[in-house]
Amino acid sequence: MRAYKPKDDVQKKSYYTDRYWVAPMVPKSMVEDDAVFAADLAAIKAKFDVSDAYIQVEQMVVYIKPEDNVGVLKLMKEELGYTQLSEMSAIDWIAKQGQFEIFYQMLSMGKRKRIRVKCFIDQNQAIESVNPLFRSADWSEREMFDMFGVKVNNHPYMKRILMPDDWEGYPLLKTYPLQGDEFAAWYEVDRIYGKEARAIIGPEIRDSARVDRYDTERFSRLGFEVPMGAEPKAVDAEETPLAYQEEGGVFMIDKFEDDKTEIISDRKR
Amino acid sequence: MAQHQVNYTQDNGLPVALTTIDKVVNWGRSNSLWALTYGLACCGIEMMASGASRYDFDRYGTIFRSSPRQSELMIVAGTLTKKHAEFIKRLYDQMAEPRWVISMGSCANTGGMFNTYATVQGVDRVIPVDLYLPGCAPRPETLQYAVMMLQKKIRAEKAGKAQRPKRLL
Amino acid sequence: MQQPNRLRPFFENITFDREDNEMIVNFGPQHPSAHGQLRLILHLQQEQIVKAHPDVGYLHRGMEKMGENMIYNEFMPTTDRMDYIASSSNNYGFALAVEKLIDVHVPRRAKVIRMMLLEINRLISHLFWLATTALDIGAMTVFLYAFREREYLMDIIEDYCGARLTHAAIRIGGVPLDIPDNFIPDLKDFLDKLPANIKDYEDLLDTNRIWLMRMENVGIIPEEMALSWGCTGPMLRASNVAWDIRKEEPYELYDEVEFEVPYSDKCDNYARYKIYMQEMRESAKILYQTIDMYAETVKNNETELMAHSPQYISAPKLELMTQNYSLMQHFVLVTQGMRPPVGEVYIATESPKGELGFYINSQGGPYPYRLKLRAPSFWHTGILTDLLPGHYIPDVVSIIGTTNIVFGEVDR
Repeated sequence: MRAYKPKDDVQKKSYYTDRYWVAPMVPKSMVEDDAVFAADLAAIKAKFDVSDAYIQVEQMVVYIKPEDNVGVLKLMKEELGYTQLSEMSAIDWIAKQGQFEIFYQMLSMGKRKRIRVKCFIDQNQAIESVNPLFRSADWSEREMFDMFGVKVNNHPYMKRILMPDDWEGYPLLKTYPLQGDEFAAWYEVDRIYGKEARAIIGPEIRDSARVDRYDTERFSRLGFEVPMGAEPKAVDAEETPLAYQEEGGVFMIDKFEDDKTEIISDRKR
Repeated sequence: MAQHQVNYTQDNGLPVALTTIDKVVNWGRSNSLWALTYGLACCGIEMMASGASRYDFDRYGTIFRSSPRQSELMIVAGTLTKKHAEFIKRLYDQMAEPRWVISMGSCANTGGMFNTYATVQGVDRVIPVDLYLPGCAPRPETLQYAVMMLQKKIRAEKAGKAQRPKRLL
Repeated sequence: MQQPNRLRPFFENITFDREDNEMIVNFGPQHPSAHGQLRLILHLQQEQIVKAHPDVGYLHRGMEKMGENMIYNEFMPTTDRMDYIASSSNNYGFALAVEKLIDVHVPRRAKVIRMMLLEINRLISHLFWLATTALDIGAMTVFLYAFREREYLMDIIEDYCGARLTHAAIRIGGVPLDIPDNFIPDLKDFLDKLPANIKDYEDLLDTNRIWLMRMENVGIIPEEMALSWGCTGPMLRASNVAWDIRKEEPYELYDEVEFEVPYSDKCDNYARYKIYMQEMRESAKILYQTIDMYAETVKNNETELMAHSPQYISAPKLELMTQNYSLMQHFVLVTQGMRPPVGEVYIATESPKGELGFYINSQGGPYPYRLKLRAPSFWHTGILTDLLPGHYIPDVVSIIGTTNIVFGEVDR
C-alpha cells in the first residue's frame, strides 16, 4: 500500500525526523527592551487592539486585527514616521488553522527601524487595500492575490500579475504542487496548438534524473555525436575529432589552422 | 574586358570561381546569420557578452537584429515560461524561411533547474530546435562554437526548394 | 518646407485635432531595450503617454515555491538567477538571512572576501547598467567600452569561483574558498585603471547633447513618489533621500570602511546616471580598503572561512576526513539539511539595484515554510505606472534604462 500523503499540504517534508526532536525557537525579546519600539507600540496600542508584540532578530513584530490594517499603517506612516512599505505578502496556514497570515514589512528611515505588522484572515475573507497609503502595495497586493488568491477590497486593478490572466490555481498555496497541476502541465500546448496537439507533443518530462538511450544521438556523449535520426554509435566506435570546419575547408573561407594561432596567457590589461 | 596588364590565365588570376548553387547560397547563408535578440534571462547576458567587445560576434557575420523579419537565427537564451510561450511561437512564425533555432542554456533545453509549474520544460515543446547548447549559463565561447556548428550544418544542407520548411506540428 | 539646419520632425504641421485619437501601443515582452521581458501597454495621445500599464511575469519561474521545497543550502544556486547581473549579492542576502536565523558568526576573513565579492558585483552590475542604457540611447561606443571593463571583472570572479555569471560563491556561514594568489594583483590592476575608464565614459556622455536631451528633466521621480512606491538604491538616492543600507544598517564590515553615499535632488534620469557613476568610484574605494583588510587577516593568521556551528554547518574538510562525528554531522546536513529554529527573519541588504530582502519563515523543518524574496526591481517596474504618463514615447526607453530593472528579480 502506498503511504498516505496529506492533500492539504504538499510541501516537501523531511523524510526522517527524530521522534524526540524539539525544534528550538529564535529568541524573542520584550518590546520594552528597545525604547523606540516601546514608544511606537504604545502609540499603536492607544488606538488599536494589539494581540501580541515582540522583538525578533532586531525587528518588532506586531499582531493586529485584520480590519485595522489601514488604520495602523496610516498611524505608522503619518505619526510614527514609517515612510516605506518594503514588502507585504501572505503566509498560507490553511492546513493548520484555516487562515492566511498577512504581513506588512515597514521601514522608518528616520529611526532606522523596521516593524512587521501582521494579522490573520480567514480563508475566504478579503482584506482592505493599503494602496492609498503606499503605492507599493498596488503591486504587492496583486502579487498576493495572484499567488494565494487573497482578495483585496478597493484595489484599483485586482488582476493577476505574475501568472497569465487565464491561469487556474494559486501557485503558492500549500495545496498546489511544485510542478503544477494538470492545467499547468498542458498550458502552453493548449494555448498555442490546442488540446488536440497534446497527443503529438506528449507530456512534459519532469524527471530531472532521466537518462534516455537516444540522448546519444544528441549531446550526451561528446565526440560520438551522430546526425539526428541515425543509429547511435557503438561504444567502441572511433571518436569524431573536434573540428571547427568541414574536411577540405569551406568555399571562399580560409581554413582554420591550429598551429598558426597564438594563445594569449596575459589578459593585456 | 578591361584594358590592363593582368594576365588572367595565370594561377588564381581569373576572377571566376566555378562552384555549385548550393555552395554559393549556403556560403552566404552560413556567414551572415543574423540573430534575433531573444535574451530571456541570464543566458541573454552571456549572449550580449558574446556580441560585445571581447568576444565580438561580428567576426562570424552574426549581427543581432531586433526584428524577426530581418533575422534567420533565433537564439533562445534563457528560461521560457508558460506565460511567454505564445510569444516565442509568434515571433518564430514571423521569421522568414530558412530559419534556425539555437536553444541556449539548460532552461531552454529542458527547463533546467526550474522544474516548476511556471516553466516550459524545453523550448522544443513550442518551436523546432536545431541546436541544443548545454550550460548554465553557457560561456560566450560555447555560444560561438554553437554558431560554428550551425554553420557547418547549414553548409551540409541543400539550398534549393528541396529543403522543406521546418515545423513542429 | 523643412529647414535643413533645424531638428524638426517632418510632420510638424500635421495637427491631430480629434479629441479621442487615443492609440494603444504594445511594447514588449520581447523588446530589445526592455531589459528583459517587460511588457508595457501604452495609451498614447499623439506621442504623449496618457496611461501606462506594465505587465510583468514573463520570467516568473516560481522561485518562492522552489525555495519552500528545497533545503537551505540547495536554494543558494537558485538565488543566483534572481538578479543575474550581480549574482553574489543575492547569494549574500540569502546567506545573511539564514545566518541571522540560526545565529552564527562568520569569521572575519570570510567577511572580507564576501565584501570584495559584493563590491566587485556592484561594479559589474553598474558597468552593465551603463553599457545597456547607453546602447538603448544610441551610444554604442560606451557599450563596447563598459563591456570590456566588465569582462576583466568577470575574469577576476571566475578566478575565484569558476563561473562568470552565476557565481554561487557564498555559502551560509562563510565562503567556500580562499581567494587565489593572482586575485589581489589582478584586482588592484583593474582598480588602478578604473578611474581613467570612468572618466572615459563621462567624457563621452556627460556633456553629450543627445545624452543630455534624453536624460535631463526626463523621468522625474519626486521624493514622495519614490518613498511611496518603495524605491530603494540609486532610484531613491536620485530622489533626494540619502539612504544606503550599507551605511544606515551596516552589515558585514561596512561600518569599518570609509565611503560616501552619493545622492541628488534633481530626481531625473541624469541624476541617476551620475549616481551610478559615483557609486562605481565609491565601490573602488571600498575595494582598496578590503584589500588592506585582507592583508591584515593574513598577517593575523586568521584562516577560518566558515563559521563554526556543528549543528547547522558542516565542519571543515580536514575535520570531516579525520573525525567520525563530524562526518556523521556532514551526512545529515547534506542529505536532510539544516533545521533552523522556529521563527522568522527579514533581512535587507543593499544590492546594486536597491534593497534586497529575504523573508524566511522557518517552522523548524529543513524546508522554509515561507520564503519571500523582496527584490527592488519589482517596485522599480511598478513605478512606471505613475512615472510614464506625461512622457513621450522615446522617453520610455531612457526611463526603463535608468530604473535598472532586471527581470529575473522582478518576476522571480
